[in-house]
Amino acid sequence: MSGATTTPSPFGARPIPAAAGIGLRAAHYRELLAARPAVGFLEVHSENYFGDGGAPLHYLEQARAHYPLSLHGVGLSLGSTDPLNRKHVAKLKRLVDRFEPALVSDHLCWCSVGGTFLNDLLPLPYTEEALEHFITHVAQAQELLGRQLLIENPSTYLTYRHSTIPEPDFLAEVTRRTGCALLLDVNNVYVSSRNHGFDATAYIDAMPAHAVQEIHLAGYTVNVYPEGEMLIDTHNARVHEPVWKLYRYTIARLGRRPTLIEWDADLPALEVLVEEAQLADAIMDAHDAVADWDDESRETAGSATQETVAETKGARRKANPTCSARSSWHEN
Amino acid sequence: MAPSLREIQQCFIDAVLHEQVDPASIVADGRFPAARHLQLYRNNVFESLTAALRAVYPAIERLVGDGFFCYAAHEYVVQHPPTSGNLHDFGNRFAAFLAAFRPASRYEYLPDVARLEWAWHEAFHAADAKGRSRAAKNMAPGAADVPPLDPASLANVSPEQYALLRFHIHPSARLVASRFPVAAIWEANIRTDDDVPEIDLDAGADQLLVIRRDLTVEVEHLGRGEYALLEAMSRHETLGEACKAALAHQPDLDLVRCLQEYVRRATLIGFSL
Repeated sequence: MSGATTTPSPFGARPIPAAAGIGLRAAHYRELLAARPAVGFLEVHSENYFGDGGAPLHYLEQARAHYPLSLHGVGLSLGSTDPLNRKHVAKLKRLVDRFEPALVSDHLCWCSVGGTFLNDLLPLPYTEEALEHFITHVAQAQELLGRQLLIENPSTYLTYRHSTIPEPDFLAEVTRRTGCALLLDVNNVYVSSRNHGFDATAYIDAMPAHAVQEIHLAGYTVNVYPEGEMLIDTHNARVHEPVWKLYRYTIARLGRRPTLIEWDADLPALEVLVEEAQLADAIMDAHDAVADWDDESRETAGSATQETVAETKGARRKANPTCSARSSWHEN
Repeated sequence: MAPSLREIQQCFIDAVLHEQVDPASIVADGRFPAARHLQLYRNNVFESLTAALRAVYPAIERLVGDGFFCYAAHEYVVQHPPTSGNLHDFGNRFAAFLAAFRPASRYEYLPDVARLEWAWHEAFHAADAKGRSRAAKNMAPGAADVPPLDPASLANVSPEQYALLRFHIHPSARLVASRFPVAAIWEANIRTDDDVPEIDLDAGADQLLVIRRDLTVEVEHLGRGEYALLEAMSRHETLGEACKAALAHQPDLDLVRCLQEYVRRATLIGFSL
């Protein structure tokens, strides 16, 4: 029998739906497993599950049985001039093999040089040298993992004297040359745009839309210094209104995308995360409704009623396989 | 000539770890002068690494206070920054660092408390006993494990080979010994209430087994004999050698009862000949 050699997945095929998801953090393990809120997917920091056993992996396995999963890394250090850390990639591969995530991501950044790691997402100078270097490491990591990576745009608090390439162009070239996808962090775009004084919507416009497979949303903190304000990407608050606005703009341009509510510090109650996810879902639903209205308007020369909008919206959902599965994610 | 990426990264990391290094040759002036921009990263790095140490060493933080802890953590980060992107490994030298850290030299028990906290951290993330994770997958959290070592399998070993058996200790098991009552000090300082009991530092030495039973890390007191027994087994000594070491410390130790308990409670999870 040809199928006898392949082990069936213990989790079943669970693609990430184009809906909002939440981060899974230790403080919420039990509550999430008991309540199983209707969110599209869960995301965890890969490195938090680099241990060999115990509670973190136990709870992740339980949660994975009920939700699609995204693994979000902070430690591959893809932009470092050190060789790619094979041990780190191997630990990530072990997680990927065990939990079968739908998405695996890390950042456009570096964390280490000369074997010293700073546990921070440090900005790269956007030069031709850095571009070649980053592309080589992304290609190597994808080869070793045997799958596509998503690369996230960082929040930055400084620029380099020698940068010559705009960040969106840098990312676009990385996806073109490596086949990697992008994780567009809308909060990061907003934070960096405020810190460096660029136009956030122009940044979104410059993103290669087809490559964006996930969006991040989070809350920032405004630090006030004698010289002025600086926005810090702290992941410790509700999504701020200007970021929701930029998100609406992004969805209008890209359409629905898996969207994560990132919240890592000063964790709120689980239901606050779910509420934030519902807000993101509502923005995507509103976009669909408008898009359907537009389609309908073109077809019927403006005679569409609210009912027909609702109907076409339903049809659109069914036509999209990742959306049709949505009602069953949180079933037993 | 423009600096290479390598030179930029080396300069950046030096400037983060050492305030006297000026990043102006690589960082552009923006809203702030270059050095102020870099300072934001310096703050992030020290804050996040101090938080990582705080998560592993809550009793040390409570014992020395937040201000002193931040000061010690800053020195530790400069001397022993992380060497991988896997933060679980970060802080492994904190006990040795504290032992050599002059400002803390009055508190002789601190390094041993740190050793206990590191053992707890390692036990928390250590591998499950073989076969556990799949079998227990659908069990509720806290459900009891089936001991992976079936006592009946020992029946196939002939008595003359007993002394040559090598038992396998649970992968999470760590042994900590101190001349101070570290378990009591640790216990009193991981609680969040304000009521810290007075502890007599001369109340005796501790020999401790730190082990994860199911999902919970336990800290258990051992007699000198049991400590020597488990310590020898964790070095993969034969049962004969381990028993010899145990009886040297405690001639009246009930070895049979010890072994039964270890198998029943999955302190020992297998054996080989």
